[in-house]
Amino acid sequence: MEFNQLLMIAISVIFINNFVLSKFLGLCPFIGVSKETRSAFCMGLAVTFVMTASSIITWAVYSFLLKPFHIEYLRTLSFILVIASFVQLIEMFIQKFSPALYRVFGIYLALITTNCAVFGVAVLNSEMFLKTAGNFSKALLFCVTQGFCAGVGFTIVLLFMSGIRERLELCDVPRPMKGMAIAFIVASLMSMAFMGFAGFRF
Amino acid sequence: MKRLFHEFLKGLFHENPTFRLALGLCPTLAVSTSIVNGFGMGCAATFVLLGSNIIVSSIKNLIPGKIRIPCFIVIIATFVTIVELTMKAYFPELSKSLGIFVPLIVVNCVVLGRAEAFASKHGVARSIFDGLGMGAGFTLALVLISAIREGLGNGTLMGLVITKGFEPALLFILAPGALLVIGILIGIVNYLTSLSPKGRG
Amino acid sequence: MPDSIFTVSPAPHIKSGLSSRKIMYLVALSLLPAGIAGVYIFGLSSLKVIALSILACIASEAVFLKLRNKDPMVALDGSAILTGLLLAYNLPPEIPFWIPVIGGVVSIIIGKQIFGGLGHNIFNPALVGRVFLQISWPVYMTTWKNPRWAVDAVSTATPLAREGAASFSYMDLFLGNHGGCMGEVCILALLLGAAVLLFTKIISFHIPASFIGAVMLFGWIFGGEGFFKGDFIFHLLTGGLVLGAFFMATDYVTRPLTKKGKVIFGIGCGLLTILIRLRGGYPEGVSYAILFMNAVVPMIDRYTKTRKYGFVQG
Repeated sequence: MEFNQLLMIAISVIFINNFVLSKFLGLCPFIGVSKETRSAFCMGLAVTFVMTASSIITWAVYSFLLKPFHIEYLRTLSFILVIASFVQLIEMFIQKFSPALYRVFGIYLALITTNCAVFGVAVLNSEMFLKTAGNFSKALLFCVTQGFCAGVGFTIVLLFMSGIRERLELCDVPRPMKGMAIAFIVASLMSMAFMGFAGFRF
Repeated sequence: MKRLFHEFLKGLFHENPTFRLALGLCPTLAVSTSIVNGFGMGCAATFVLLGSNIIVSSIKNLIPGKIRIPCFIVIIATFVTIVELTMKAYFPELSKSLGIFVPLIVVNCVVLGRAEAFASKHGVARSIFDGLGMGAGFTLALVLISAIREGLGNGTLMGLVITKGFEPALLFILAPGALLVIGILIGIVNYLTSLSPKGRG
Repeated sequence: MPDSIFTVSPAPHIKSGLSSRKIMYLVALSLLPAGIAGVYIFGLSSLKVIALSILACIASEAVFLKLRNKDPMVALDGSAILTGLLLAYNLPPEIPFWIPVIGGVVSIIIGKQIFGGLGHNIFNPALVGRVFLQISWPVYMTTWKNPRWAVDAVSTATPLAREGAASFSYMDLFLGNHGGCMGEVCILALLLGAAVLLFTKIISFHIPASFIGAVMLFGWIFGGEGFFKGDFIFHLLTGGLVLGAFFMATDYVTRPLTKKGKVIFGIGCGLLTILIRLRGGYPEGVSYAILFMNAVVPMIDRYTKTRKYGFVQG
């Protein structure tokens, strides 16, 4: 039962309601960092990590701070604060202990601080799993699954997009459509293909 | 006064956040399924922009440089919470259809971008007009996109049926339609700028 | 670029001796039996759909080329005709006249010309048009017409819509004696055309074989109550599988380059098709599956391209 629910969350977040292609979350990095496959992959990894971690943190904040004191209306403020400071902390930590890793991921972490996909997954988690009074551990499981899979879904479409854009470099795209405009058209066509997953049921 | 007016106008056209700077696209695409939604979102964002610009520009000298971004975020988040609660209380319908995109104004690059790039360097008066201009530009773009999407995808404008014989293309109120419309609009804007003698703005 | 003697185009270069124009017309020719079968089965209304779709494709291509100051006569190089033909084959035989027209325009403009024209497009143009129409006007796109000799000729479900599944014999399905898109129902005619393409080496067997193989295999495993009880012949004979596997997934521009890549591409298409058929909200998944895999092609190419030996990596 629980496994089925988790599978459903995973498939829903990766394919049916893909964060980028159907919820428009994380569009800025999707358009901005998809020119080259290598950096797209690094970005995807960084986002997946931050999403998973911030799902856990915001779960803790919501369950142990906001809910017991009945200050749920501070959700927006507290979530963005903990996420932003967490990302900063990670950045400083990596910079100190692994300069090599920092050279690869540092710039992406800086970009993630105010990424709407990361914040979006936290808000979605709270809307979907945390508001309903359930037991803590189950909610945590769902939150982490959703966070991780949202990151995976983001990485997948980012990789496809970067492959396509590397090919587009060679294409004779009309000048006004070059760059961002054609990237959006490609995203639209990918989103059409992803519509095929609409209405999946298990 | 002329200078203030200039700050207002640039947000509408030359530095239009959506078409020229490509900022804040996530909410633009997500909520532009109907004009009412688009306009509501635009107003909410304008309010937050105005509020955060005023506060940031008036206390800019008190904020230490190194932690200015977290400070900006707290200020912005405060205004977003105000909008969230107000909307829930007085416009429950709108609040429901905008969903998670109201709290997401916090991470809207337009708001943080203006706080960082403009309000933290300029006086209160100019920041007010900058905020209003950017907000108006954002709202304008949102209304334009949602008019196209509502018209083509639902056959209505502000809920009124356009013509009887027109069969709306459902695609335009779904995700692929949003991406298609914004792609083509950016292309058109690029084309128009390449025509104007000044070139790139 | 068009006035230089060398045509510089991205990766899928055609290796056989035929020119691309000749190949386009040959493929169109090999699609002819299926079209004749469609017109015979569903009546003259399907001929109208084909004509409108092809005209819309050629006209929009010519207009777009003219706007870009290129030679509008390039629109007659056969690729626009082929796109129009394939699009029409993917439509129900009786629909309002403006649907194939809009479909043709979308196919050519959004699917092909906006990327720079033939050889530059990432997605199969005909499928872009078809999916656009499917999402935009789902009711029209799923109102099927029975063969003209059937008792109630108005509307019917395709065999793939689950409730109608039991009532067709394999022979009916093979010959196309049931409702469906006009070009996909008669498997016999499609196979005839496919044989010509395979025989003249215009297409290789890799994509169709792995595509159809995957659909049959996974249909067999997951298609029934319990494992290994699915009706895989039914899955082969229904929907747009044969049309898609031989004529659309094999499109030169939007398929992978290497044999290994083609097999991966085909299996991916097959897996997605059967997933959508069995679990998805749409009765048929061939178009979505191919479109999805089109997006993956650059990645597949990247990881299957032949390594150059004697060079240091990096």
